[in-house]
Amino acid sequence: MASEEQKLLVSMIEQFAKTELENATQKIEKERISKDLRKKLAELGLFSATLPQSEGGSGIDKKSFSLILMTLAKYSASVAYFTYLQNTLVNELLYKLSNKKEVIAKIGSGELTGTLVHDLNLNFQHEIFIKGLELYGTSNFVTLPDADVHLVMARSEGSSYLVITKPTSTALRKPLGFRGISFGTSIYKEKIENEQIISKEAENILQNHFLETGDQIAAIALGISEAAIEKAIEYSKERKAFESYLYEFQPISAVLSDMKGRIEDMKKALTLAESIQDKMFLKLNSLEIARLASRVALQIYGGYGYLEDLGVERYYRDSMHLTMLASNYIKEIKILSKEIISPEAFKI
Amino acid sequence: MSFELPNEIEETRKRAREFALKEFTSELIDHYDETEEYPNEIRKKVFDAGFITIENPWNMLVAMEEFCRVDPGIGLSALASVFGSEILLLYGTEEQKEKYLYPTLKGEKISAVAVTEPGAGSDVAGITSKLEKIEGGWILNGHKMFITNGTVADHYYLLARSAPPPSKEKRHHGLTLAIVERKWKGVNPVKLKGKLGMRATDTAEITFENVNVPNENIVGEEGKGFYIIMTFFNISRVYVAAQSVGTAQGILDLVFEYLSNKPASFREMEYVQFALAEMNTLVEVARNITYKAAAKVFSFNPDPALTSMAKYYAAEVANQVANMAFKIVGMEASGTKLEKLYRDAKITEIWEGTSEIEKLVIARMILKKIQEAK
Ligand SMILES: Cc1cc2nc3c(=O)[nH]c(=O)nc-3n(C[C@H](O)[C@H](O)[C@H](O)COP(=O)(O)OP(=O)(O)OC[C@H]3O[C@@H](n4cnc5c(N)ncnc54)[C@H](O)[C@@H]3O)c2cc1C
Repeated sequence: MASEEQKLLVSMIEQFAKTELENATQKIEKERISKDLRKKLAELGLFSATLPQSEGGSGIDKKSFSLILMTLAKYSASVAYFTYLQNTLVNELLYKLSNKKEVIAKIGSGELTGTLVHDLNLNFQHEIFIKGLELYGTSNFVTLPDADVHLVMARSEGSSYLVITKPTSTALRKPLGFRGISFGTSIYKEKIENEQIISKEAENILQNHFLETGDQIAAIALGISEAAIEKAIEYSKERKAFESYLYEFQPISAVLSDMKGRIEDMKKALTLAESIQDKMFLKLNSLEIARLASRVALQIYGGYGYLEDLGVERYYRDSMHLTMLASNYIKEIKILSKEIISPEAFKI
Repeated sequence: MSFELPNEIEETRKRAREFALKEFTSELIDHYDETEEYPNEIRKKVFDAGFITIENPWNMLVAMEEFCRVDPGIGLSALASVFGSEILLLYGTEEQKEKYLYPTLKGEKISAVAVTEPGAGSDVAGITSKLEKIEGGWILNGHKMFITNGTVADHYYLLARSAPPPSKEKRHHGLTLAIVERKWKGVNPVKLKGKLGMRATDTAEITFENVNVPNENIVGEEGKGFYIIMTFFNISRVYVAAQSVGTAQGILDLVFEYLSNKPASFREMEYVQFALAEMNTLVEVARNITYKAAAKVFSFNPDPALTSMAKYYAAEVANQVANMAFKIVGMEASGTKLEKLYRDAKITEIWEGTSEIEKLVIARMILKKIQEAK
């Protein structure tokens, strides 16, 4: 259960989201997260939320941060994912692996933006290599390729490095979801300095980091789910067909209550998940619920759901985009099977 | 008993596949998806290539499937340029056919069906657009919503209320079907932009303000429009089922291509193989039920429950297969056509009767049988 302190923090973020995001969601999706909004999020301390206060962070505990992400995602999944990217994927890793205090502070203050380029959720390794001090290769699946700071996972004869750098060139394209954040390709072709290599065990470190923070992805997925279903419940009380409100039809109220119940269950699980295994299941199940809830919501909106004006189709795109970005079902169920059943499981 | 389609239809299928692969280039698919323009040039080519022939509906059906397999937005746009023609074919007078149907079937005109309103979609009898009788004709006032071809059509087959319903139970009485031309005074179509998918299709909101409709533009019997529209839906729904099958097959093609390009070890995983088996089975079943429903409709022996089953099931399959494909391909689906087909597929559960409405039709037909058996 959430503590009083957590509740207070979440209600403050809710207040912020209501004033800054609720009416700006479409604009954010069309024009991307603005500098101004980035500054405001930074002022709340969200980009270094989980770093210790002694290091200039906000010292927010991880559970509270998950609740913050869930709250943000209810209003704008783009903003929630952006926050997760800055705090968890960039600043936490920088803090863990380097002494780049200045960069951490600048990302924390929103002055710089950062991204992490890796291939752990892909079926196959990406082709970014390091040879001597030469970094080269391309990734086609980069969130925020125009970020100022890139943490890039590069492979080199059996080992994997994490390099702090900037791309040689980038190309943006319209992603399926999270359109408030840029997305596309980054190409690297440069000589780097030794101190730019911040880890020589990137794969292990990133893998563990993703497993440990899987509940944050679950939180974003649950925020999307909750927003979608709440919107659909609201609509079912306004819209009439056959001279009855939509919620009066049994299949509609059944599916809405069922979804609501499943989301509430998952929210409880979110506050309880401690082990890696708990977090992995939580993530997989929350992503599935998000895809389902957004499909249900769109369907209940009927034709109106298919148009972006009412903001419902966005959940449908975001939930699938989040699944792609943050999960690889086959890899994850393999890890879980080996842990739960036997190291020999999931072999054939 | 044979489950094969006749050779000539298979020939059309082959031609449709080749045509779509050649004409619906990636650049054009992206262009129409991005700009939401109506693909008029491709529509003309589809006509010239002879795919639009409602006299031979099987040809249209397999063309729908093959076109949507490559791109549902462009494919449906081109084929649906004769949307609603069956209404005139079945209920039109010779004059109406001369003026509206034949030019449409020659590709000289585009048609649309205008039933849905801002306040009533599933509940067709709940529409409020009004046809009022005046001397020598009718005055139309009303508001239509989500009308495919709305800003490009030359004429609409429009449903409006011409008399109050005789009772609460008979709300579907008193509706009349009229042919309304887009260029007439008082007709104001506005393009709706920003759809999730099917962005090459033209969708509009249309208002009708004191529009004069001559008597000769009333289709079928006055007050019987609901039945005409339901008969039409029974035909059009098999095409939506074919759209779904084509979309689902297009998704399978992409998964197939993905697996072909990756090391064999990936497709040798049983997990991947099972997903592949399940997806292919779903599509095969959807195709079979679609053809069975079509066979009944095209031989003038429609089975509305079967048609609704086909439409509902095939739509479900298109969406399910899209989801399953993402599970296999994962992040690498980003920037590929898979993302687009995922967006396009969703419409099949909404238009021409939502999946919920199809289920109601199916259930009502079954309940009727229970009643009759008693
Ligand atoms: C891109 C696009 C193109 C279209 N083209 C056309 C066109 O060319 N011509 C045209 O006339 N219309 C067109 N439509 C409209 C489409 O047919 C309607 O959107 C559809 O019929 C649903 O109606 P609605 O949107 O009003 O939803 P509603 O009828 O308001 O339904 C909302 C939700 O309630 C559910 N529901 C309704 N009644 C019941 C019930 N009794 N039991 C359980 N659930 C119920 C529905 O299934 C749906 O999930 C188009 C729509 C779109 C999005």
